[in-house]
Amino acid sequence: MHKKKLTRTLAPLAAIIAVMLIYMAPMAFSQEDMVVVPTSDFNAPERPAAMFKHDAHNELAGLEDCVVCHHGKTDAGLIDLENSSDGESCSSCHPVKPENGATPLMRAYHLQCTTCHADALKGPVACGECHKK
Amino acid sequence: MHELYNFVSGPLAWVAGAFFVLGSIYRLVSMYILAKRKDGSSLEYMSLHYSLRSIIRWLIPFSTMGWKADPLMTVTTFAFHICFIAVAVFLSGHVVVWNTAFGFDMWSLPTQAGDIISFVVIAACAIFALRRFMLPHVKNVTKPKDWFALTLVVLPFLTGVLAYHQMGPSLLMTTLHILSGELLLALIPFTRLSHALFTVFTRAYMGSEFGAVRHTRDW
Repeated sequence: MHKKKLTRTLAPLAAIIAVMLIYMAPMAFSQEDMVVVPTSDFNAPERPAAMFKHDAHNELAGLEDCVVCHHGKTDAGLIDLENSSDGESCSSCHPVKPENGATPLMRAYHLQCTTCHADALKGPVACGECHKK
Repeated sequence: MHELYNFVSGPLAWVAGAFFVLGSIYRLVSMYILAKRKDGSSLEYMSLHYSLRSIIRWLIPFSTMGWKADPLMTVTTFAFHICFIAVAVFLSGHVVVWNTAFGFDMWSLPTQAGDIISFVVIAACAIFALRRFMLPHVKNVTKPKDWFALTLVVLPFLTGVLAYHQMGPSLLMTTLHILSGELLLALIPFTRLSHALFTVFTRAYMGSEFGAVRHTRDW
């Protein structure tokens, strides 16, 4: 009798939690909540992480095509702007210390952000503009 | 502002580098020609042994009469030159520039240490300045070109510290920092800072003259 009562209380609770998890899963995998460039691959970063709100940035920059940043790699090992690497982390192709001649993660980040900003004449380019204390 | 930053951090950096390299070659070659014309016989006495003996001796603090005579200047000058090179080449922010622009992967100073030794350079410049103000034997031989050289050196450090500590607008401070660094680099061959090019030869000349001609030490 007692056990049945417990089940009756817990079942709806479990259902609610399950539904919440299912709804929240895509959010956890989207970049809506991203506020800084991911730095977990770095051992001991020397500067504060660069501020980067993924969705707000792209809205402001008018970026709709993922491949502009999430580029692929051509057979020659160059940047491929046809095939997107959307959904993979930057460090999956750009490790902190690559052994296959790939661009290291820090250099990839710096080049990716500042080259685009310098060309667009918009957005942070100087060290202290991203790595705010 | 982005246009200025792009120009200063791009083409102007190459112009400053070219001024430094070509200007240094020009100064060294023209000085050699001048020495050959006005003091040709001294070239015959140049000796690698006595040159190195003098250079190495003067690279060691307090190992010469000159270094012993003025301890404050000795400590300041060694601290200044070591810290200057360390900051210019190995500061973590600079190593990131070498990495981003050229792909070099170099050892860098810990960020905190880089900050401290930047202040050491500024303090050393202050001592150099006070010395020129306060010591009569230095004041009497100080000319505007000496103040100009000292200003050229201290500006990149002042603006660098401001940019690093994010005082003032970051983009402006960083642009001024790069600009003052380029001015310094480009003018090294053409100002009192040309001692960076000539000291080794001045020392070699003195060492050879004292060693091979007078048969004595030059320290």
